[in-house]
Amino acid sequence: MKLERLARIDRRIVYLLIGIGTVLPILFPIGFPVSTTPPVERLFEKIESLGPDDVVLVSFDYGPTTAPENSPMAEAVLRHCLSRRIKVIAIALFPIGGVTMAGEVMSAVTAEYPELRDGEDYVLLGYKDGAQAAMKQIGIDIASVFPTSMDGRTAGEIPLMRSVRNYDDIALVCSFATNIIGEWWANLINAQFGTPIAVGTTAVSAPKYYAFLDSGQMLGLLGGLKGASEYEQLLLDAYPDLRARYARTGVYTAMKGMDAQTVDHAIIMLFILIGNGIHFLTRRQRQSEESG
Amino acid sequence: MGELIGTWIGALLTLCIFSFLYRDNPFFRFAESLFAGVSLGYYVGIVAVNTLAPNLFQPLFGNFGENWDLLIPLLLGINLYTRFIPSIAWLARLSLAAYIAYYVGINMVQKLQGEVVPQIGSTILHPIGGSLTPVDNLIMIVGVLSVLIYFYFSIEHKAAVGVVSRVGIWFLMLGFGAAFGYTVMARVSLLIGRMNYLFIDTVRVTSQHLS
Repeated sequence: MKLERLARIDRRIVYLLIGIGTVLPILFPIGFPVSTTPPVERLFEKIESLGPDDVVLVSFDYGPTTAPENSPMAEAVLRHCLSRRIKVIAIALFPIGGVTMAGEVMSAVTAEYPELRDGEDYVLLGYKDGAQAAMKQIGIDIASVFPTSMDGRTAGEIPLMRSVRNYDDIALVCSFATNIIGEWWANLINAQFGTPIAVGTTAVSAPKYYAFLDSGQMLGLLGGLKGASEYEQLLLDAYPDLRARYARTGVYTAMKGMDAQTVDHAIIMLFILIGNGIHFLTRRQRQSEESG
Repeated sequence: MGELIGTWIGALLTLCIFSFLYRDNPFFRFAESLFAGVSLGYYVGIVAVNTLAPNLFQPLFGNFGENWDLLIPLLLGINLYTRFIPSIAWLARLSLAAYIAYYVGINMVQKLQGEVVPQIGSTILHPIGGSLTPVDNLIMIVGVLSVLIYFYFSIEHKAAVGVVSRVGIWFLMLGFGAAFGYTVMARVSLLIGRMNYLFIDTVRVTSQHLS
């Protein structure tokens, strides 16, 4: 039967179509429009309300395995903070590659702001093992958790760190997370210290974070590549000077990634519709054959 | 030259992993094993350089008088390895007990104060008011109650209880569907990242070095 043969299509054909659907929009960007949602807008507005006297703690809680999702959102938020001259303290709590991702993103974004100085406007403190313990101890004394920066300067040698002792001196924590560490910022640090928390998470983890958003334990949420693209859109609307940077050929951005995402979703939905259609048609045929 | 070699190693390893889509093969297994080994080596190195050195060894050897108390976690850590000596393996349990006690203490408060209480609080909603719209509130209330009924096994799921538990199944299915949709998006995002690496980054780095 032809329909049954179609139902048993080699899965490698599906892989091939998804591959083509991914590569073509990367090579020839389409530029689908991006609409924004309240969880992303709330984080954007919070950062818009901050200024040069405020400090944002950015925690890199992801590794290279989820960098295509997390890095664009981390870059966009970091770019937003630095554009507003907000002070940024970066840390990493994810063991497999967190600090490498932090170094990559920090060096790429801070290079766009040569007027800002390492140690005065931003600093990368490095990685600490035992995320929960480190997060809790930052509430008492951040210098006891990070006695030195990534490049070996002591807390006393870093001007930015002289004015920051614990969460009382931090206006916002942004965690870019691939697993449970993002949750801990909400259910441990927000619950015990009241610090405003925003999490940019992988799409796999995003659904469970909505519970923390609804309960007010998080003020903003960036869910996967879509959340990152929304933040990029808000950033470009508010800071048109950044458009040239995001439009550059060869620079990976969430908005460009969403082109391929949209095409792939269309292919997947098409296969779901075809698969279900074949299932119901063959079932009806079988039933009519049995009754006939 | 280092960047070029590194980029091409990355590209070839990516292709090794993708080769599994055709079928299992030695190239895939090589890349998989390499990834596991490199990850472990990276983890050991990063903990030694970023945690043990600045938080333990430097303060301990730099100013022993003020930091002698760091000997306690150091000894507890070393003590964990006594499990490899059968005659005194029981000693490792002391360190493990201290470790578990610390995290149980943190987690108990964290779960109750940070999850159970606020999540119950955010579910106690006025049916027609509050921060969400009345329709949202109603969906939330019906959803939570029906799912709880579905997982309540002390009453047979018949008659009214059966109907409510059926509604609970629908809510669960909607939840799983949303989670699956997000999962698809996540996996496609990772594919986009790799394809971008193969078709944009590798080509760019190669052409930079050739020109």
